[in-house]
Amino acid sequence: MRNQSAMRFLFLALLAGAAISCNRSNSASTPEGKHQFFVAFSQANNAEPYRAAQNDLMTKLFAAAGDVKLVIADAQQDNSKQVAQVETFIRQRPDLLIVAPNERAALTAVMGEAMEQKIPVICLERDILQPNYTTLVRSDNVEIGRMAGNFIRDYLVAKYKQPKGNVVEIQGLLGVEAAINRHKGAAEVLQEYPDIKIVADPVADWIQARAKDRMTEVLRAQPSIDVVYAHNDPMAVGAYLAAKELGREREMIFVGVDGLGGPAGGIKKVQDRILAATFVYPLCVDKTVEIALKILRDPTFHPDKEYTVAPQLVTPSNAAQLYQQSTVTP
Amino acid sequence: MRSSSSSTARQSFWKKLTGQQRDVTKSLGALIAIFIFASLLSPAASDGSNIFLQWGNLTDILRQVSIVGIISLGMNFVILTAGIDLSVGSILALSSTVVALLLTRWQPEMGYAAQISIAIGAALLISTASGALSGTIIAIFDVQPFVVTLAGMIGIRGLAKWLSSNANVDVGFGQDVASLFAAIFRGKPMIIGFYVVLAAIFSVLLGRTVFGRYVRAVGDNERASLYAGLPVRSVKLWVYSLSGLLAGFAGVLYAAENHQGNPNSGVGYELDAIAAVVIGGTQLSGGKGTIAGTIIGTLMIGVLTNMLRLNNVDSNVEMIVKGAIILFAVAVQKQGKDVR
Repeated sequence: MRNQSAMRFLFLALLAGAAISCNRSNSASTPEGKHQFFVAFSQANNAEPYRAAQNDLMTKLFAAAGDVKLVIADAQQDNSKQVAQVETFIRQRPDLLIVAPNERAALTAVMGEAMEQKIPVICLERDILQPNYTTLVRSDNVEIGRMAGNFIRDYLVAKYKQPKGNVVEIQGLLGVEAAINRHKGAAEVLQEYPDIKIVADPVADWIQARAKDRMTEVLRAQPSIDVVYAHNDPMAVGAYLAAKELGREREMIFVGVDGLGGPAGGIKKVQDRILAATFVYPLCVDKTVEIALKILRDPTFHPDKEYTVAPQLVTPSNAAQLYQQSTVTP
Repeated sequence: MRSSSSSTARQSFWKKLTGQQRDVTKSLGALIAIFIFASLLSPAASDGSNIFLQWGNLTDILRQVSIVGIISLGMNFVILTAGIDLSVGSILALSSTVVALLLTRWQPEMGYAAQISIAIGAALLISTASGALSGTIIAIFDVQPFVVTLAGMIGIRGLAKWLSSNANVDVGFGQDVASLFAAIFRGKPMIIGFYVVLAAIFSVLLGRTVFGRYVRAVGDNERASLYAGLPVRSVKLWVYSLSGLLAGFAGVLYAAENHQGNPNSGVGYELDAIAAVVIGGTQLSGGKGTIAGTIIGTLMIGVLTNMLRLNNVDSNVEMIVKGAIILFAVAVQKQGKDVR
């Protein structure tokens, strides 16, 4: 009986071994003689479309570099799992560690440990509580807000030959970074024009249905609206639906943020002329790979503490092309 | 050899004990085999040393299994009474949320040590009370543990979310009381130490006390235990309370380690704990199993997971392998039963 169970565990162990050796043969098929850098990437959650797109692009770009072996670990939106995966990466001593933190507080300490072990760390897209990274590559919601503000001003100037008009701002969840900064950036621009008035700023918690309800109330109260600026695309669409129900959708334009690809995303809504514009919150991967290769190949290179990737404006003139791109690269 | 070893297994208490020891030895052998296997498969560090065998890596494994390990100690007692506790993951979330809330939102006029003690005490108290509530319903009204603790799993998570408005309660890295709490309790030696001490206490409680014998007896044959005058109801009440207490401990350590009280943490931990208990040879039908086995089961999962991660195997494969081990462990147990 003991022998039999021992045999079973042996078999099981062989099974695990087989899984490992399959994996190894993949990584071994690299051109010999050339130095291979080992880059470990801890991704918060592959199941989010935004993050899956990050993985795909990063895999593609590092493969194109030719001298990098990239390993991606998926933390499946679990802080403990991501901490454990980063710890294991640290033991493997990669030439570079990239972390897209699931949550700020939970990953701060373990990324500090990587830094102590002299492993260069790139923090991707989401900041942590202490600067425990070599460099942070992120986008900027304040900049998105500014771009939206400029777009709105330009539209109003084109419409009235001067900067004036009535704007409704539909806010995301109060107190959340994206909502705070998307408001802040737009306010910076629009405050300079006293004739551009924010006539209402309801909170709709990022949710389309809630935005429709709030917008219906605003429409009852406001006889004249020129622009609706929503902190994300679904809320902009919700506002559009409310206006359409009351037959007022042609009176105003709708501006959103996020610019996701795919049939449900904001780019398609711009292409369909429901939204006048949206802003793509970038993957930040191009910049990350660029900085990563510099760190790996050039020992004298000292990256900045932070890089900001510019958001992209989507209007009907480039929506079709961007939609194509977003759907071709899955 | 087969028939003789198992037919004598139930004949006397002494021989039953050796049967248990034999099971534990068998599991230990499997753990050692996996350990050797992991060290053979381990990639080498840049200086040529074996990464798996590095002290830092081995303690990583212990730290990583400690939280589920602590939960599985309580789960072991529950399963020994032929029960189940699905609410432990939610209790962990509640405990982590309560301790973080009391450390960040409450500003009493008292020293840091006192506030930390009260916060931890309150988290443990509410966790134990949650377990005791399930235990009371199960013991007094004789409702199936699966249903009662399923209700607990949903309701207690709701409570944790309500208390925190479903937002994480972040603990910082500054000089405040919450940061001090995290700095003290997040350390590897602290977390591993808690697991070791609790494992020792609960091992003695099960193996060397009357209470431990009652727990086994209730699971082995509840009716016979009742006729023999054993306090079946209070045994049940106690095991669910202990399970809640241990999940609460795990929640406090979780809050320190992750620097946050998180009402959405611990999802699926109840299943990980059950898996560790089952792999360790405890039978879901109750009565049979040891703390040592559960610890070995916990370590087996930890070592295998680490082995796969060190070799950069896809994290989804971890789950496949975990599933396979559970089946193998149960197959071994089943074999033991068949030849009786």
